[in-house]
Amino acid sequence: MIKIDNLSVAFDGPEVVKNVSFTIGDGEILGVVGESGSGKSVTALTLMGLVAESAHVTSGEIYYDDQLLLKAGQPRNNALYRQYQGLKMSMVFQEPMTSLNPTMKVGAQVEEVLLLHDKQDPKAPTQSKSKAPAGNLAKSAKSESAEAKAKAEAKADAEKKQRPAKEASKNALLAWHERRVQEKEDRKRRVLEALLNVGLKDAQRVYDSYPHQLSGGMRQRVMIAMAVILHPGLIVADEPTTALDVTVQNQIIDLLRKINHEQKNSLLFITHDLNLARRLCDRILVMQDGCIVEEGATEDIFCDPRGDYTKKLISAVPGRTGKKKTSNSSTTPLVEVHDLNVYYRENANSLFGKTVKKCIVKDANFEVYEGEILGLVGESGCGKTTLSKAMLGLNKMIDGRIVHHSNSPQMVFQDPYSSLNPTKTVGWLLQEPLRAQGILDPSKAMTEKDRVAAAYDMLHKVGLKDKYYARRPSQLSGGQRQRISIGQALITRPGLVIADEPVSALDVTIQAQILDLIRSLQEELKTAFLFISHDINVIYQVSDRIMVMKDGKILEIGETEEVFRNPQDAYTKELLR
Amino acid sequence: MKKVAGWFKKQNKYFLVGLAMTGLAVVLGILSFFWTPYGPTTMSAAERFNAPSFRHVFGTDNFGRDIFSRVMQGIGTTVIVSSLIVVISAGAGILIGAITGYFGGILDEAIMRVTDAVNAFPSILLALVVISILGSGKQNVIFSLGIVFTPSYVRIVRSEFIRLRDADFVCRARLMGVKKLRILFVHILPNIFSVFWVSVTIGFNNAILAESGMSYLGIGVQPPDASLGKMLSDAQGYLGRAPWYALAPGLTIVWIVLGFSLLSEGIRRKEASKK
Repeated sequence: MIKIDNLSVAFDGPEVVKNVSFTIGDGEILGVVGESGSGKSVTALTLMGLVAESAHVTSGEIYYDDQLLLKAGQPRNNALYRQYQGLKMSMVFQEPMTSLNPTMKVGAQVEEVLLLHDKQDPKAPTQSKSKAPAGNLAKSAKSESAEAKAKAEAKADAEKKQRPAKEASKNALLAWHERRVQEKEDRKRRVLEALLNVGLKDAQRVYDSYPHQLSGGMRQRVMIAMAVILHPGLIVADEPTTALDVTVQNQIIDLLRKINHEQKNSLLFITHDLNLARRLCDRILVMQDGCIVEEGATEDIFCDPRGDYTKKLISAVPGRTGKKKTSNSSTTPLVEVHDLNVYYRENANSLFGKTVKKCIVKDANFEVYEGEILGLVGESGCGKTTLSKAMLGLNKMIDGRIVHHSNSPQMVFQDPYSSLNPTKTVGWLLQEPLRAQGILDPSKAMTEKDRVAAAYDMLHKVGLKDKYYARRPSQLSGGQRQRISIGQALITRPGLVIADEPVSALDVTIQAQILDLIRSLQEELKTAFLFISHDINVIYQVSDRIMVMKDGKILEIGETEEVFRNPQDAYTKELLR
Repeated sequence: MKKVAGWFKKQNKYFLVGLAMTGLAVVLGILSFFWTPYGPTTMSAAERFNAPSFRHVFGTDNFGRDIFSRVMQGIGTTVIVSSLIVVISAGAGILIGAITGYFGGILDEAIMRVTDAVNAFPSILLALVVISILGSGKQNVIFSLGIVFTPSYVRIVRSEFIRLRDADFVCRARLMGVKKLRILFVHILPNIFSVFWVSVTIGFNNAILAESGMSYLGIGVQPPDASLGKMLSDAQGYLGRAPWYALAPGLTIVWIVLGFSLLSEGIRRKEASKK
C-alpha cells in the first residue's frame, strides 16, 4: 500500500536517512526499531509530509496506493498532502502532554478532524445512514448525504421560480440552519462513538474535558481516536507508549492491535523498545544511523538475527533470562526503615488558603542489606522517589524511623543532563565529594594530589579514559554523563547508593552497559544499591531482591527469582505480564 | 604575531567590534587624567563657538573651551561613576538575591516587598530623594544610583537561584555534604552567568544614562568638572548656534553604550558556545 523507494533525507549537513526502501502492506503492522538518532522519526515524518522545511529529500520517492506523494528534487506538494493527511494517513505522537491543544476541549479537537475532511470523504460512515430522497425541503435537509443535499438545492431552485423569491430564501435559510444543527449533532455523535471505541468509557465527560483534566493514558487514547475516526488506510504511531506507565502501555498496545484488527488499516509502529515491537508487529525493520540494517518477519528477527547490530540490540534488551547468579548472602541490615510515612506539603495557592499535608508513602517497612542491590519497582507517582528522598534525608516531613548503619548515602538521578553541574569539568566534579568530606570532617581531608589521583582512579573504574578528565558535561554523551554521576556517588565509598531510574533516559545498548557497570562496581566495592525503576525487566537484570510499590504502599518484597516465579499480589502479576 | 592573529580569528564579530569601541573610549578616558589636547577648563574668549576644525576636533563651547578635551574628561568621569554604580548594585544584588532565592521563607518575602517598594518609584526620582538627603556630588550619585539599581539585580539573581536550588546537581551537592555557602557561590553562581551578564550590560548602560541624566539636572558632577550629561545640559541653550556642542557628548554616550552592548553580547555568545 505504501511504497518508499530509496529515500534519503538531509538537514543542512550529512544525511540522517540514507537510501531507505520499504513497503507496508494492507492491514500490516510494520515495526521500525532503532536507537535515538537512527532516523526512525524523520522517515515517518517525511512519509507524513510533516518534516521540517529545513529537511531536504535528496533521493527517493514515496507512493501511496501507486499515487506519487513525494519525489526527490520536487518541492513538497502541500495541496496533495492535505488530502492525505488525517484522511488517508494519520499520526499518533509520543508526548500526550503536548500533542493536544491545552486551550481547546477534547471533543472540539477530535471534531476538527471531521470538519476538515468530512466533505472530501464520500465513504464516511454517515452516508450509509442517510435517508431516502426527501419529498420536501425540510425533510431533505435532515438527510446528510451530499446527494440529498444536491437534490434539495435543485428543488429549492425549482421552487424559486414558482414562489415569491422572498419566501424561498427564507426557507432556504431555515433549511440551511437546520442542516447545520443536524450536521453538528451528527459530528458530535461520531466523536462520542470514536471515543467509546478507544476505550474511553465516560465519553461524554471526556468530550467536555480539557486535556489537563485527563491522565496521560486517556490523552493518548484521545490521540488515537483522532487518528482513527476517519478510518485512514495508514496510521503512523511514533513511540506512542514511551511516555506512559507499564500497565497503561499494555492497554494502549492492546488497543492498537484491536483497531488494526477491526478496521484493517496498516500501522507503522516506531519504537525503541524491542519487546513492544515483538508483541505487536508482523514485520520489523531495524534502523541504525539512517540505514535499514535488517528487515524480516518479527519472529525471524528475534529468533535468528543476522546483522551484528541486530544481535547487539536484542542481547541488550533486558529480558528475564540469562541473569548473573547473585552472590550476596549478607543479611546485616545497612538501613532499617520502620513504619515510615512520608508527607508532602501542598502549598496553598491563595493568600488565606490552607496548606494541605498529603501522605505519599504509607507504612513502609523494609531493610536494605549490606552489599545488595534492592530493586524498587512501581509506576510513576507511586511514591518511589518520595521514599528515596526521605531515606536520604532530603524530605524531613516523615513519621517513623529510618536507621542508617553507614555514612551518608549518595544518589544517582535519572536525567544525566541535569545531574552534573554544567559549568565544571569532570575532574572537578569527581573531586568535589572528597573536598566536601574534607571540609566536614578534617580527619578525612585529602591533599590536592591524592584527590586528583582518586578522581583519575574513579574515572577508570567507571570505564572512561583519561582524556575525559578535563571535559565539561556538555561534551559528554548521556551514557558518559551517567558514568560520571555514578563515579561521583561512589568516590567517597558510601555504604548505600540510591539510583533513581538511572537508565530510563538512555538507549537500550547504553542501558545494558550502565547496568553492567553498576553490577561490577557493586561487586568490587561492596556498595549496597537501592535501584529504582519502572521497568520490571531492568529490575530483574540488576537486583538481588525486589520491592513492588503501588500508591505509596509496599505490596511485595522478596528474592528476585522468588517474586518472578511466584508473584503474590495481583498488581505484581499485572506488571509481570 | 601569529598567535595574536589566531586569537582574533577565534573571536566573534560582536566581541571584536565591541572591544574596539569600548577600548577606544576607555583609553581616551584614562588618557584624560594625564593629558588632554587643551586644558578642559581653559577658557578662551577669542575662540567661542568655533566649529570643528583641525585645531579643535569637536569645536569649542560657549567659554571657548576645547570640546574634545572636555569629552575625554567626561568619558573618564562617566565610565568610572557608572562602573562603580554597577559594581555596588550587582554585588548587593548577587548577595541578597542568592540568599533570598536559595533559602526563601519570611526573609525572602520581606526583602521582596522592599524591592517592590523601591521599584515602584521612578529610578531618577528616588535617586533625587536620596541625594536631597545626602547632598549632591560624585560619591552621592554613585551611592544613590547604586541603591536604586539593586532591586533589578536582586530579582534576576533570586529567580535564577529559585530555578536552580532544586536542580539535581544541587541536590547531589547537598547529599555530598557541601556547605551551604559553597553551594551558593561555587555550585550555583557560575550557572547564572549568562542571564546575569545580560542584566549587567543593561544595568551599565542604564547607569551611564542615569548618571548623564543626573548631571544634566545639575545634581551629579559639579562644574567645572566635565561630565557627558552635564555637557549636554549646558549645550541645550546653543543648539541652533553650535550644534556640535550637543552632538559631541551625545554621540559619545551612544558610542559607549553601543560598544559595551556589543562587547557583552560577544562575551555572552562566547560563553554560550562553550556549553
